[in-house]
Amino acid sequence: MLKSKTFVKKTRSGGVMKIVREHYLRDDIWCGSESCSECKQESTVLQRDACIESNLCPYAHYLIPDTNVVLHQIDVLEDPVIRNVIIVQTVLQEVRHRSAPVYKRLKDIIHEKEKHFYTFTNEHHNETFVEREPGESANDRNDRAIRVAAKWYSQHLKTSKSDPDGLKVVLLTNDQGNKEKAEESGLLVYKCEEYIKSLIANPELVDQLALSNDDKNEITSSKMLFPEHLPLSRIQAGIKSGSFLQGTFRASRDNYLEATVFVQGEGEDSTEVLLQGLQNLNRGVHQDVVAVQLLPRDQWVAPSSFVLQDEGAAKDDDAEEEEDRVLRISAAEAARKPTGKVVGIIKRSWRPFCGMLNVSHIKESTRHLFTPADRRVPRIRIETRQAATLAGQRIMVAIDGWPRHSRYPNGHFVRSLGSAGDKETEQEVLLLEHDVPHQAFSQAVLSFLPKMPWSITPEDMVKREDLRHLTVCSVDPPGCTDIDDALHCRELDNGNLEVGVHIADVSHFIRPGNALDKEAANRGTTVYLCGKRIDMVPELLSSNLCSLRSDVERMAFSCIWEMNHKAEILKTRFTKSVINSKASLTYAEAQMRIDDTTRTDDITKSLRGLNKLAKILKKQRIQNGALTLSSLEVRFHIDSETHDPIDLQTKELMETNSMVEEFMLLANISVAQKIYDEFPDCAMLRKHPAPPPSNYDILLKAAKSKAVEIHTDSAKALADSLDVAKVDNFPYFNTLLRILATRCMMQAVYFCSGMDSDFHHYGLASPIYTHFTSPIRRYADIIVHRLLAVAIGADSTYPDLMDKHKQSALANNLNYRHKMSQYAQRASVAFHTQLFFKSRGILNEEGFVLFVRKNAIIVLIPRFGLEGTVFFDTKDKATPNLVFDEEGPTLKVEQHTFCIFDKVKVTISLDDSNIQHQKIRMSLIDPVIPGVSVPAPDVEPQAKKPKLDR
Amino acid sequence: MAAVQVSEAEKVYILHGIRDDLRVDGRGCEDYRHMEIETDVVSNTDGSAKVTLGHTAVLVGIKAEIGKPRPMVPDEGYLEFFVDCSANATPEFEGRGGEELGTELSNTLYKVFNNKHSVDLKSLCISTGEHCWVLYVDVLLLQCDGNLYDAISVAIKAALFNTKIPRVHISADDEGGKEIELSDDPYDCMRLNVENVPCIVTLCKVGHRHVVDATLQEKACSVASLIISVTHKGTVTCTRKVGGGSLDPESIFEMTEAGKRVGKALHAPLMKLLQQEESLGKKHQKVGFLG
Repeated sequence: MLKSKTFVKKTRSGGVMKIVREHYLRDDIWCGSESCSECKQESTVLQRDACIESNLCPYAHYLIPDTNVVLHQIDVLEDPVIRNVIIVQTVLQEVRHRSAPVYKRLKDIIHEKEKHFYTFTNEHHNETFVEREPGESANDRNDRAIRVAAKWYSQHLKTSKSDPDGLKVVLLTNDQGNKEKAEESGLLVYKCEEYIKSLIANPELVDQLALSNDDKNEITSSKMLFPEHLPLSRIQAGIKSGSFLQGTFRASRDNYLEATVFVQGEGEDSTEVLLQGLQNLNRGVHQDVVAVQLLPRDQWVAPSSFVLQDEGAAKDDDAEEEEDRVLRISAAEAARKPTGKVVGIIKRSWRPFCGMLNVSHIKESTRHLFTPADRRVPRIRIETRQAATLAGQRIMVAIDGWPRHSRYPNGHFVRSLGSAGDKETEQEVLLLEHDVPHQAFSQAVLSFLPKMPWSITPEDMVKREDLRHLTVCSVDPPGCTDIDDALHCRELDNGNLEVGVHIADVSHFIRPGNALDKEAANRGTTVYLCGKRIDMVPELLSSNLCSLRSDVERMAFSCIWEMNHKAEILKTRFTKSVINSKASLTYAEAQMRIDDTTRTDDITKSLRGLNKLAKILKKQRIQNGALTLSSLEVRFHIDSETHDPIDLQTKELMETNSMVEEFMLLANISVAQKIYDEFPDCAMLRKHPAPPPSNYDILLKAAKSKAVEIHTDSAKALADSLDVAKVDNFPYFNTLLRILATRCMMQAVYFCSGMDSDFHHYGLASPIYTHFTSPIRRYADIIVHRLLAVAIGADSTYPDLMDKHKQSALANNLNYRHKMSQYAQRASVAFHTQLFFKSRGILNEEGFVLFVRKNAIIVLIPRFGLEGTVFFDTKDKATPNLVFDEEGPTLKVEQHTFCIFDKVKVTISLDDSNIQHQKIRMSLIDPVIPGVSVPAPDVEPQAKKPKLDR
Repeated sequence: MAAVQVSEAEKVYILHGIRDDLRVDGRGCEDYRHMEIETDVVSNTDGSAKVTLGHTAVLVGIKAEIGKPRPMVPDEGYLEFFVDCSANATPEFEGRGGEELGTELSNTLYKVFNNKHSVDLKSLCISTGEHCWVLYVDVLLLQCDGNLYDAISVAIKAALFNTKIPRVHISADDEGGKEIELSDDPYDCMRLNVENVPCIVTLCKVGHRHVVDATLQEKACSVASLIISVTHKGTVTCTRKVGGGSLDPESIFEMTEAGKRVGKALHAPLMKLLQQEESLGKKHQKVGFLG
């Protein structure tokens, strides 16, 4: 039967359009129930004995949730206990319309076989289709459609002769009006809370219930703590007229009463608006898109240098005001920044947060505060009865809402990740917190892998150059299985040198647009954690078919130069090739071969040639003003059985490291030039912007304190002045300066050449740069490979590759993933450092002051590459007399003045008193300041056990 | 225009018949042929009607769109006409064959309907000088069997009656910017007042008399024809002579009087019929094009 659906829509140009859709009703839509004998269905989803222990519905029944129940209680629905649920098409469509993430989760549940969720397409069913009536709102119609479907089910199942008891259907709705109407028409209907609470066997489900509106009222006093948010229409009007600004809310990591809103302007013109105080933050949560209003200029403030953490039990409002006052210390006029307040939220970006529970001090209380692992996210109030079991576990909590009268947002428990401090759990937490996609690859993705056994076919050879005869070898860190680059060097008959960089041809295996490609594009990068690697592409590719291992034939993308002995490039060419690596060496092995004068085999000769050229190249690069910066990288020695770190050392760099690096840089630059020449509009490049001069302030001040001059006018000037910066009797000074300089730098980013005009790579002093050499672990390189392949005619193109807007969106994702993977890596190192110190107990170490803050100094321990903060105003002790001078910057504690680079002695121990945020605690031993420093303790050999039962 | 070949003998027969107030198909001089009207036949228009008159069939669809009012009349909306002479109607319309007739018809329709006395154009205004409704009246000729004007005018009146314009609200924000907001209830719509919408009566002078609703044969015998648009009160809003031939003042006067009479009588049953159909609501069985 044909019906038409008519609706009017506003078009983008402001017009009004009438749209008519044909709508077909059918009589062959089955109910999906096992017990039904009427429907001619092939397979059933809903079980015959749909029993769940409930004191409200002791009989077998199916559930029909309405839209709001699905939207708000998806966590409950996901629980394995809840089975045999009918999702009505009306609900599915509404959910899809209102929340994409919930829709995705709902679809996942429906696909799960054990859950027995059935989608009933009531909108196309002859008997359950309802048309909107005059005077009926869209919501009312949908509610009616759900009721009609429920009614149909209850009658349909009753008439099924096969089951004398008759299955029943239970409608779940939280809408009072809907409930009454359903009762009138004789349906079984319960509120979601009622139903879940009636499940006798599974009391823990109640915790996963999201709070609905009427529950929230009880929780807090009716005192309004926050100003009201403006409605969206007024926000939009305000943004249009310029009285409000739209931006991303970024909470401060160090101070929970402070945040900035990053307002994206046109082009480079972006600003940051400072927010200070709870009232002005007005319930913004990290990463929300908010509308802010600027305060009058005389109320502008400067960001405080205080480190302030929201700790302890749920606070009263009085305490809050005091903290507010602490912030309002008048700042120098110059330091003041545009300050504003949040007037409305445009888009919440709430996701489930990882963290731990602060168990309430009051026994029997079911309301507890949850502290997220990410310090920028406020604490969340949740209701749970399993507090005792959840204490000491890492759990996930989702925010449900943040009413005006509540100091904290309200949320509900989602799931437990495992006990805190557990390595597996912590790894899961840091992957989740950094938004690293780490699930196993799906079947769809794996289906695009080549079939094993795999070998190179003659067809593959047609477009490829056969380079199997060349003495190619790879040099990598020990234990590396994803080898994506290999090198060769040989002397040509004309006396020149031929140097080849061979990169794994990943784009041969990953074809544009398929599931494998999309997954890789989404992951963006392989993430290396201590002792674990989260691959961007499935292992078959990353560690086998793409990896350029020795003595096997592999496909490669080669960049081959002809150079003279002065390392001047005479000719460059790119080709797809097949190589056969003769050796996979580690940096140390390669170094040994080069140094061992007795060896004269081909590989060694090749390495020596490469090394010689690399030295020249490096010298040239440094002359051009490339920066050599420093950051301490730590390597753990991991116990092979327990996987606990037993020792740690900073990474050492060898000559061969820089040899490989030089040729990779050279290949990247050559490729960047080639793809930019070929595709000026859509080349994927990488730039490193020059930092604004103000970034160098801290470096200049620090250098000045040691009477050293640093020039920052250009990269070259900086590099040169860093080279000559030396202080007698302080050999580590130069490294410290370089560490500081690194902190002044901007992030290097991928971008699409058609969307930007500034290509310069500041750090490498190269006018153009890209990433070509690691396609196994970076998606950007795959794009660059494809572009280059098109440029040399080795592969065909596809539309998205040439679309600069799509490229640009991809670049943004890659930048985000790249940044997050770095954070995750750092977090992983920090966690392993903690594990290490846990086993070591208390240590005494020498370190250097890296930064001076108003109430603390930040100390770097070179031996461990570890940074820690020494606080001078601890809560339990009287605050010593602190005088902070911003010019130095120096901090005078009682009689002693701390400057940057001061040598100090500290004790290092693991502070596990707060298991939610275990941290490395440092206390001062030397210089001795009475009342502040601690006596040097004897190094305790035994480890402290973490208190898990707190 | 579609024409038939009529022999001298046939002409004489028709002429003599009309002289005696008896036409070939048995009608009197001021009688219409059988007429069928159905509204709401095209679902993706805002209003539509199909009219068959003898074998003449026309379809009218009305689309309402938001536009800018004409500068001279900032508080009125307006109508746009387009007549499509489909080659379905007669093979002569094939290619660009129907273009001339289409233009002629639509020009006349502008004259007859696009004024504030015929249609309440003020009700089409959304915000003065900025937004108004523009009604695009599309006429499709499905079959030609004479007397196109009358059939089209009846169809337009029926389609205008059937037109449902979605109701819009102008919301002004603080800064004076105006935003058109659409009601989300599809049943919330505005209807037009079609009381004063005229119908066209075409009179053909055949011999010394004149007939309404001439068939193609009669048309072939006619010297000249006059179209008169008449409201339900009998007010003549427009007259126009179409075709070749000349008319003396006296017969023009006579024809006008006859047109007034016929036109006035046409409105009442038409309105009654339309209201009857409307009141059936959804129970109304649609006939459509296959009936």
